[in-house]
Amino acid sequence: MELALQQKLVARLATDREFREKFFADPARVAATEGLTVAAETLSTLHHEQMRQFARLLRTRRLAQVALRLPLTRKALGQRFADSFRNYAVNPPAAGQRPSEDAIAFVKHLEAQAAEKGLEPAWALSLARYEAGRLAAEWHNQRLVIRLLPHDVKRLATLMAAGEVPLGDYRRSSLAVWWRPTVASRLKHWLS
Amino acid sequence: MGRKTEITNLLANLPRLGAGLSYRRPFRDELLQRQSEVDFIEIIGDFYLDAPPEKLDELALLMEHFTVIPHFTTLSLGSAEGLEERHLEKIYLLLKRIAAPWWSEHIGYTRAGGINLGHPSPLPFTKEAVETMARNIITARRAIATPLILENVCSPLIWPGAEMTEPAFIAQVLHHSGCGLLLDVTNIHANSTNHGASPAEFIEQLPLERVVQVHFSGAHESKGRLVDSRTQSVPESIWQLLDLAVSRAPVRCICLERDDNLPPLPEMLWEVERARALGRLYKRWN
Repeated sequence: MELALQQKLVARLATDREFREKFFADPARVAATEGLTVAAETLSTLHHEQMRQFARLLRTRRLAQVALRLPLTRKALGQRFADSFRNYAVNPPAAGQRPSEDAIAFVKHLEAQAAEKGLEPAWALSLARYEAGRLAAEWHNQRLVIRLLPHDVKRLATLMAAGEVPLGDYRRSSLAVWWRPTVASRLKHWLS
Repeated sequence: MGRKTEITNLLANLPRLGAGLSYRRPFRDELLQRQSEVDFIEIIGDFYLDAPPEKLDELALLMEHFTVIPHFTTLSLGSAEGLEERHLEKIYLLLKRIAAPWWSEHIGYTRAGGINLGHPSPLPFTKEAVETMARNIITARRAIATPLILENVCSPLIWPGAEMTEPAFIAQVLHHSGCGLLLDVTNIHANSTNHGASPAEFIEQLPLERVVQVHFSGAHESKGRLVDSRTQSVPESIWQLLDLAVSRAPVRCICLERDDNLPPLPEMLWEVERARALGRLYKRWN
């Protein structure tokens, strides 16, 4: 029973930055408000810096999984991909959340970020939405997924696959469609 | 026959595979062209659970060309809450499809109190944690007959209140669960270096007769600490540790892990070949 509470407390400390800072400022009080007093007594000597490093390790692993599922977006944003992810990952993934769901949620975060502060290059968001559409169609039993995107996704993807850095704004509407006639059918894709 | 001898015999009957690498989608086509240069591939089994038909096609293609060893990260064998039956059932179905000689998971937990840690995290080195692991493994082994081997994890975090050392903890878990060991030498190197211990002594304290598979990968230094990032080529310090492990343990296969910053495939295949030569040197395979 004690291990279950300890694991819960460590999991919370590793994934919730705000909770972690509050806890290390006053472990007993914070643990009491969370009903984790027993666990906090045992874990009162947890090393704050070690916990920070552990949290960073978990975030790095999570980032690697998301990056694997959004290769074009990652290439387009470069270091800003990891920077944006750091802001997104202040909240832990939901229980049972798969990496593809995490990647889709990250793209939603990028959309919100772009609406608020813009995103450079602007076409990176079209690539992100394109890749999120593919993930939704591949992994989430959506038989029909349609995305209308304001940039030339096909041209951008070709250039990036060839290792070139796209210059310019690439404004031209793209229509991306994925469909699966039956649940067991292979996914079909069309990109204008 | 004693239980220990029985387990050792069971592990000794597992096939000798040689040297291989963790499969990553970006190098699939090139790997298929150079399939004679790897003796097996390891897949992340979790990626094929609830998978769409295309992913299962990929798995079928890999199985057609390679011996496939499934490695899992999300079963959470160390969870005090117990295992999720549905998850176990999915793993069972996947293993049935693959018909692998063994499968692997971690000595750690990924799930607690509704939180998904996303990556195997360490346990306290206590009797309660040993019992928890043993209890969950019994449940898993009742559902899945394929031999299970367990991997040591890497973590900057040390739980307070340890009742034993980490090697003793690993030994206890293996003893009570009857499992083989997936020895990750890079994890040992990172943990030992970061916590001021000797990685070679760590290895010497493990029940090496239980080692079935070895993982090795690159690591890099960040803010004065060694991080098992799997993003770099393998440094000499890890090769030395791998040499020690292969010289002392009856390993059936060695697997190179690389997650990110993937180099051209020939670079990784050169590391696989070097590991294969090490296995030959110590007569682990021909």
